[in-house]
Amino acid sequence: MEDELDRTLSKQDEIVPSSGFVMSVMDAVRREAKASEPTPLPPLAFPWMRALPVIVALGVTLAMLGAVFVEIIRMPVAAVSEPLLPPAVTRVLVQVNADWLAGALLIAFLSAFLSMRFAFGKR
Amino acid sequence: MSATEDLADVERVLAGDVSSFEGIVRRWQGPLVNMAYRFCNDRGRAEEMAQEAFLRVFRSLASWRRDAAFSTWLFAVAANLYRSELKRIPAGNVALDDVAELMDRRSHLADFEEHQRDRLIRKAVMALPAKYRDAVILYYFHEMDVPSASKTLGLPEGTVKARLFRGREILRTKLPQLMEAPRLKEA
Repeated sequence: MEDELDRTLSKQDEIVPSSGFVMSVMDAVRREAKASEPTPLPPLAFPWMRALPVIVALGVTLAMLGAVFVEIIRMPVAAVSEPLLPPAVTRVLVQVNADWLAGALLIAFLSAFLSMRFAFGKR
Repeated sequence: MSATEDLADVERVLAGDVSSFEGIVRRWQGPLVNMAYRFCNDRGRAEEMAQEAFLRVFRSLASWRRDAAFSTWLFAVAANLYRSELKRIPAGNVALDDVAELMDRRSHLADFEEHQRDRLIRKAVMALPAKYRDAVILYYFHEMDVPSASKTLGLPEGTVKARLFRGREILRTKLPQLMEAPRLKEA
């Protein structure tokens, strides 16, 4: 039995791969290689909608600071000692720590500006 | 087959030169297609299985540890794929009992031809339980070399020998007339 089995299974017909086999395999391999290549990710879009309130607040603050600055410059030297804003407004500004608020907004603006500049380059 | 050529091609493919894989395919297409053919006895399916084996080899080329020969690793990858493919879609085999019955009927015919008997033996091998079938197929694929078959199967040599022995025992039980036909012919 063993000899017969050895004889039969050892002489099993050899088949020759078809002529297009190599090309077919290589096509599949190239597709596979192409599919596994990393595709570049699109740049992240800046969240303008979320940043809008901050930008508006920043703009208002800067406008106010600008207006104050211009008024200080236009004012005669003698009048500088007089209060610039009405006492009520001054009191409110002091209560909400407007100077710190303005400073924080300015820093936030600079941070956002520099980040965008680093991320997107000079445009 | 040149181990040096294999190594050089593998290095190039790993460096990003996909077309170097063609050298590997050209050198090993025959053995891989024939190994697949022994598992499924269907030429078309053998080529499909061999193509899938080459793709798997390409994907996992980086995992080939150089302590084993490239051919050993290649055959192991292919054999694992063929075995799982056969598990998923079995080859169109007949059951072992049907092979024996077929043989009973045919053995009474005077013109029982040798190649038909050989076909029956191969069908009987294909109908063996998978673990014995795999051992028998790979043993003969590797020209009756137990160490090579055991490396391809990833099993100890003793286990492969035991499975070969058991596979033969099953065939002997199921095909008792197998040896009688040639003897009668010779007489």
